[in-house]
Amino acid sequence: MERTRRLVIAALTWPVAAALLAFCVAPLLVLFAYSFFRVDFVTIVPDPSLANYIRVASSPTYRGLILRAIESGLLVAAISAVIGYPVAFFIAKRGRNAKSALLTLLLIPLYTGDLVRIFAWRVVLGAQGVLNSFLLWTGLIREPVRALLFSPFATHVVLTYNYLPFMVMGLWLAFEALDDRLIEAAMDLGAGAVARFVRVVLPLTVPGLLAGGLMVFVLVVGDYLTPQLLGGSSGITVISAINDLFGTAFDWPLGSAIAWTLLGLLGLMGAAAAAAMVRSAAARAMTAGG
Amino acid sequence: MRPLLNAWVCTIYAFMYLPVAVIALFSFNNSEMIAFPLQGATLSWYGQVLGDARLLGGLGMTFLIAIPTAVLATILGGASALALTRYRFRGKAAFVALLFLPFAVPKVILAVSWLLVLAELGVAKGLATMVVAQTIVILPFTTMVIASVLVRLDRALEEAAADLGATTLQTFARVLLPLARNGLIAAFFVAFVLSASEYVVTSFVSGRNQPLSILVASDFRFHLSPTLDALATLLVVANLAIVAASELIRWRARGRAVGRT
Repeated sequence: MERTRRLVIAALTWPVAAALLAFCVAPLLVLFAYSFFRVDFVTIVPDPSLANYIRVASSPTYRGLILRAIESGLLVAAISAVIGYPVAFFIAKRGRNAKSALLTLLLIPLYTGDLVRIFAWRVVLGAQGVLNSFLLWTGLIREPVRALLFSPFATHVVLTYNYLPFMVMGLWLAFEALDDRLIEAAMDLGAGAVARFVRVVLPLTVPGLLAGGLMVFVLVVGDYLTPQLLGGSSGITVISAINDLFGTAFDWPLGSAIAWTLLGLLGLMGAAAAAAMVRSAAARAMTAGG
Repeated sequence: MRPLLNAWVCTIYAFMYLPVAVIALFSFNNSEMIAFPLQGATLSWYGQVLGDARLLGGLGMTFLIAIPTAVLATILGGASALALTRYRFRGKAAFVALLFLPFAVPKVILAVSWLLVLAELGVAKGLATMVVAQTIVILPFTTMVIASVLVRLDRALEEAAADLGATTLQTFARVLLPLARNGLIAAFFVAFVLSASEYVVTSFVSGRNQPLSILVASDFRFHLSPTLDALATLLVVANLAIVAASELIRWRARGRAVGRT
């Protein structure tokens, strides 16, 4: 019995693991190896050194781009946490029979495709676009607001739009796990609405905030099309810089070094979020036990 | 408090559907300009899209890529979902991390590392590279869809089958597979849609024959026209219809799982 069980587990996991190791992990390791090479005119010389990493660390441009990617990731994660929190609460605690339908409706816009979504937002936000022409038509504004499109504003609105569903999913799971009796108990003990939220609901949904926040963060940092097509002159990101180095600029080793610097930082953030999640889960287990 | 909450939730859902609603509205508008006020209804933009032979060729390639991708992503996703929801094993945390790596790694970084490997091995870009690349990127999504159905299935049915003397293989083929069938179909549809609309990774590893998502990319990136608007609406409607169908199938799977307990 134990032998069959092991065989079944191996049969289920190994093909998947092999595919991922061969087609995801191995290529990333090749990229890592390239990050130590250098370019000599048009050939890549496998002459290992840390020169590319030193270039990344000492270049204000690349440092700035990496920093800006992290800022954008944190900002969009924070915005989607604030606007998504009540939505997740509503779906979990007030959704009743409509729960599945509400979740599905929230996820459906994810399936429209990157380019179509960006096209639609350009239609909405453009100078001659829908929002401007609507505001002009109603007489609320006299001149079209040009800053709507091709600006950091446009980028962040659409990034929030793109990844909000992931935040709501993370939070929804946390609210589903939240026992209503704890809130009732706090109420019976005389806690007001604010105290109930700050001292009971918020701490218990921290794992959801962390899970949703981490997903939004990595997706925003890795987003290529949205800043490029909606950000205008602000559209140069660390991701587009990597893309350029692998294209026109032809410096694969430097591109690899930037990519791995970014992967390292993402890994650190992920590990920190995972540790915080484990800690808050442990804290919850302790309060529940005691 | 409650009216405020309701209003907020409605606002967010309106925000999520605003772009879709806008392009759908203007795809019927009888004007070259995509702007208010509306100028009356027309179907001529749709006529132009459906008469475009180049787009139809791209659609064929999309199916050629999306079907094998969806099959592979569903089989691999089904295996991992089964392992995750039914078994405890050593290295499970590492397996989960591996499984969600393609979700967490920026797509451009994945794409350039594939470019390096293809150049290193001298492999030509084409159908196979697109299918493999998309399968890896879509795998986390199919795993989640199938796992969401499997966690709701009653384990007592499998245990009963085992108690009645069914072997592991029999239990799998005659109990688990029929129960999970709808989850697998839903995952297939979701993978199909994700494959058909994937752009970033596909554009890096595509060969000479390009799918629809790549063919229309430069139009969508640089032009605004009611014809593109009609095309965008058609793509959205097709995608949403497939996803809606798969969601319906997934709900039915849940209803049945609950009904039998």
